Amino acid sequence: MSYAYLFKYIIIGDTGVGKSCLLLQFTDKRFQPVHDLTIGVEFGARMITIDGKQIKLQIWDTAGQEAFRSITRSYYRGAAGALLVYDITRRETFNHLTTWLEDARQHSNSNMVIMLIGNKSDLDSRREVKKEEGEAFAREHGLVFMETSARTAANVEEAFINTAKEIYEKIQEGVFDINNEANGIKIGQQHSPTNPSLPGSGGAAGAANSGCC
Amino acid sequence: MFRSRSWFGGPWGGRPKNRLSLDHLKYLYSILEKNTTVSENNRGLLVESLRCIAEILIWGDQHDSLVFDFFLEKNMLSYFLHIMRQKSGGSSFVCVQLLQTLNILFENIRNETSLYYLLSNNHVNSIMVHKFDFSDEDVMGYYILFLKTLSLKLNTHTIHFFYNEHTNDFPLYTEAIKFFNHPESMVRIAVRTISLNVYKVQNSSMLRFIRDKTAAPYFSNLVWFIGKHILELDSCVRTDIDHQSNQKLSNLVAEHLDHLHYLSDILLLDIKDLNAVLTEHLLHKLFVPLYIFSLTPAPPPPSLAVVTQNLAAVLNRNVNIDIQEMNNPRVSSIVALYLLSLVFLVVTHAPLVHALAWVILNGDHSVFKEGAAEILNSYVEHREVVVPGFAEPNESLEQALDTVTGQSSSSYNLSEDSGVESATVNELETHLHTDVELAEAARMRNITDEEKQKQLLQQSTSSSSSAIAKPFLDTVLQALDCTENDYLALLSLCLIYAMSHNRGIKNEWFDQVLSKSTRGSFSYKTALIEQLLNIITQSSQPSCRIRLITVEIALELLVTFTKPILDEARCITTSQQELLFSARNQSMIVLRNFYKSEDIFLDLFEDEYNEMRKAQLNVEFLCMDSTILLPPTGTPLTGINFTRRLPCGEVEKARRAIRVYFLLRRTCQKFLNEKESLLPLTNVVNLVQVENVLDLNNSDLIACTVVSKDNAKQRRFLVIDSLQLILVEPDSKLLGWGVAKFVGFLQDVEVQGDKDDSRCLHITVHRGGVTHNRTPLLSAKFLFDDHIRCMAAKQRLTKGRSKARQKKMYQIAQLIEIPGQMDSPMFAVCGTGGTNSSGSSSSRSSHHRSIFSTANRVPGFAAVLRTSHNSAGVSRTQIAQNRSIEGIRNESSGRSRRRSPNGSSSNTLRTDVDRDRSPSVSVGSHSSSQSRENSQPRSGGTRSRESSPRMPRPRSEEIPLEDFQHSRNNSPHSRGNPSPSSRSHTPSRLLHYEQISVHSGSPRAEAASLTGTNALLSQLNGVTVAKEVLPVHSSEETSFIANDSEGAESRRKGAIETV
Repeated sequence: MSYAYLFKYIIIGDTGVGKSCLLLQFTDKRFQPVHDLTIGVEFGARMITIDGKQIKLQIWDTAGQEAFRSITRSYYRGAAGALLVYDITRRETFNHLTTWLEDARQHSNSNMVIMLIGNKSDLDSRREVKKEEGEAFAREHGLVFMETSARTAANVEEAFINTAKEIYEKIQEGVFDINNEANGIKIGQQHSPTNPSLPGSGGAAGAANSGCC
Repeated sequence: MFRSRSWFGGPWGGRPKNRLSLDHLKYLYSILEKNTTVSENNRGLLVESLRCIAEILIWGDQHDSLVFDFFLEKNMLSYFLHIMRQKSGGSSFVCVQLLQTLNILFENIRNETSLYYLLSNNHVNSIMVHKFDFSDEDVMGYYILFLKTLSLKLNTHTIHFFYNEHTNDFPLYTEAIKFFNHPESMVRIAVRTISLNVYKVQNSSMLRFIRDKTAAPYFSNLVWFIGKHILELDSCVRTDIDHQSNQKLSNLVAEHLDHLHYLSDILLLDIKDLNAVLTEHLLHKLFVPLYIFSLTPAPPPPSLAVVTQNLAAVLNRNVNIDIQEMNNPRVSSIVALYLLSLVFLVVTHAPLVHALAWVILNGDHSVFKEGAAEILNSYVEHREVVVPGFAEPNESLEQALDTVTGQSSSSYNLSEDSGVESATVNELETHLHTDVELAEAARMRNITDEEKQKQLLQQSTSSSSSAIAKPFLDTVLQALDCTENDYLALLSLCLIYAMSHNRGIKNEWFDQVLSKSTRGSFSYKTALIEQLLNIITQSSQPSCRIRLITVEIALELLVTFTKPILDEARCITTSQQELLFSARNQSMIVLRNFYKSEDIFLDLFEDEYNEMRKAQLNVEFLCMDSTILLPPTGTPLTGINFTRRLPCGEVEKARRAIRVYFLLRRTCQKFLNEKESLLPLTNVVNLVQVENVLDLNNSDLIACTVVSKDNAKQRRFLVIDSLQLILVEPDSKLLGWGVAKFVGFLQDVEVQGDKDDSRCLHITVHRGGVTHNRTPLLSAKFLFDDHIRCMAAKQRLTKGRSKARQKKMYQIAQLIEIPGQMDSPMFAVCGTGGTNSSGSSSSRSSHHRSIFSTANRVPGFAAVLRTSHNSAGVSRTQIAQNRSIEGIRNESSGRSRRRSPNGSSSNTLRTDVDRDRSPSVSVGSHSSSQSRENSQPRSGGTRSRESSPRMPRPRSEEIPLEDFQHSRNNSPHSRGNPSPSSRSHTPSRLLHYEQISVHSGSPRAEAASLTGTNALLSQLNGVTVAKEVLPVHSSEETSFIANDSEGAESRRKGAIETV
């Protein structure tokens, strides 16, 4: 599938905040969230359209790689966007945001767009972090904020797409050097390696084929 | 094994209603069974089936074990394999789904037994070795994360599913590391994670396999690609003189740091055998032949042809060029020093860093043939020697690994392919490499005559005096020369710093080697210290081209290398120490030129001090900054941190001068074992903090309403201390006391009148410091009761501001020993003049002052205080009309109460005395003894009178100071005894502000006025002391603070004595 741009994202945040579920929800909507079943995946890609341009989002979950210093310091670089996720039902995941953000700011390129996500908004009864707190944190650190639910899919699309829009705007403003792949942006090839008759490779195939079950 | 077989009979044809059920899985299985061949027509169906299978399996793992049993019994993984092996009809599309399903499966599975069953039949290994279409980004992504997920499941139990001891098969590892140089950074990161996860598993047989079969090919390729990366970095540094492609360079540097940290992470796992191989490769395939080799002087081009040739070789390099033909690649010495610094900053593996340090400190050219064998042998027994040389491995990693896995026997000999050979054949190899030697010798012949002579000289001296030539150490030390600029010197300093602070090298060893090895007549250590002193001396010159960071590291190293052994004095000669001190004095002279030349000098001064205290030297952070690889620049437009570039413009020059002085001052104090006593200018301990409870009896209080930006109104009393503006609220428990609700520095106050309202002031209190453009501490409208109070407040604030600033400027003048303020004969002259003039004007000011201090007083205030906080009368009531000496006692005990939360009253006493003394320490014993003289009679006097042990009264920064004057002036005693000196106290202070504000333009005049005030104050010290004090030059040495405090004391004492 050909695209005008490819944006690389990373998802960061404490374990168990639902990063991989968010990712699967976004890249592969065929996995309908069901009560009592949590499925996640650590990699995914999906095509979106912004301003009439096909943009491929490629998302890498960095889970399990925190043990080594060489790994943590390198994965922030080379991403155009980052979703910083916490769990609204667990206060400590919110408290750790500062550490995540410091790490991200220290190692990423300064233009990386960071979106703050308060996940599991469907579990309002068990909420420990108020929406206002998330908003305040985002305001203080210059982030975009959103509460999502990987289970009900609420705001999941918006979280990923709004981040992409912001990156796209930065490209239009000339802030991002798109020729430097270390910025996490790739300009698409003219020809698609895969069969164009298919709706897309991998997760992108999702929407069209969801009639099975 | 399986619990139930009843479902075998179930109908698999129809689609079950429940999506997450065993029945559905059975149905999906029937689909797989029917569609064994992927075609255009069924691939949609297959993809969907595979997706659903993932869902059901995870559901089953969490809810119904029968699901997994069925999956395993039907061996459904084999269907997966069968599907992915088909090349036809959009297999990539199906493969992506397959890999996603596998990923979901292995990531989400919680049941350990299920995991074991999944892994048990070797299908997973077959999937791993399958050649997917890796040109597809998504396939690549899912594939490598599949491997990563599996590597996270590795432990001593599961390792057997992945590593087959008998067949020497370990696809998880060998397949993964083939992508170590993949263009996609996330793939490379995953490969590193996988390899580290593999190494972590404590399984000796697996580790032996890694070491014997894969370590040499993997590490040699890794090292080779790191080296190639470095050559790219080097060419970037060479071409980017103008800081234009900064982004590219910083990316290259960051990437290189990633490599280095990865190597360090491997070494930190502390797997002995693996580390030995890695150390050998790093040292002899990269560090020695490329880094160290680049420290030798580059051969001068014999002809233009060679130059062109080399240039072409450097610029047009590509993967296929045989490195040997390029005749020893090298990087610039800048890059070499930088890279070596990074090694020592990141890697702590003792054998490696020790050997590398040894090479730098002791090595000569023979190291390029022999390597650092001597050192390494002591760490590793039976080590496999790698011949030094930066060369591409003979075989690519993939080839090497294919050979490994292809041959199941252990007959495979790595040494043929990867330049590794056993120690026994080393000698033979050396002979084989004589041609390299010859090439080296030929290269040496091309050196200019001058250098040849130098070398000859070196060689002859080395042979005659048994001193060993140390070409690399010489290069490092020569690089410290800053005559032109500090481009090389900074990197050389980084290297020395990194070597001396590396945890893998024993500290003493480094020091000993330096002290023992001699260059000419003195040791290298001496040479190093002299070079450091050279840098320091040059940096104190007015227009030097040395960056602040260079100075800072040089000073730090000087301290390190002169560290006293045991209890002895610092290892520094007197003449060397003299050099350091004269550098400090020189920097002081430079700084004097900036004194007052800018309005913001004081702000700069304090800001620089804070910056210096905040910013701890961190060479590791410094070395992450790629800009230090480029020639030093002055312009801030590059975005380079101030300390890492040259100053731009007058303000930055002033900042630089201040900082250099601070750095040198600090270092000199270390050498003298002195504690800083004059800095910071504000003594935080003595400041009023928010929520402090203050005794405000006797203080000048101005009632006001503070209207903030959001129109919130607060009723407060404005108190003006010598340094601070304080807003208080009456204390609910103690009459005449108040709680500080806001404090700000007077020096940062900005006051503006209101055109429309004569009772209104706009007051802004800034945060202080020049570089931070932050919101002010307070910005509000102050509404006063009447026009007069408003005027009074404005005047006091304006005066307070200029006085506070003047005071600090005077402190600075003392600090940097501005001449004129120190000159005793002049003091005498000006002193009398000052006294006279102030004496004459004092009556005016006192008169003026009395208007708003006495006029406010209303009898019977005590009753009012608690009831009417808001009444204007409160301010009046704060001051006792007939205040007698009793008030003084109250005040002083109250003072100690204020501090009592923090310490006892005896503490208070000591602080006060310390503070008394502190300003005078730098100027000599005269003044300190003087202040003691002052304080002793004072306390003695008071004790005799009051018989209170807590009599030493608080210092000048205390609020009620001036009001005390009033009370005393108003007290019957002082009124009845109007001695000229006692009466002029307060006025003189007021006068003082005026004088300074008038003369502030000219330092000279100001100095005169300051000394004048000094004289005045000294005189005011009272009948007893004044005569003693005046003739010696103690008073002009007294700082502003001291002036105040002494003034205060003398006033007190005067009062007591008059009584």
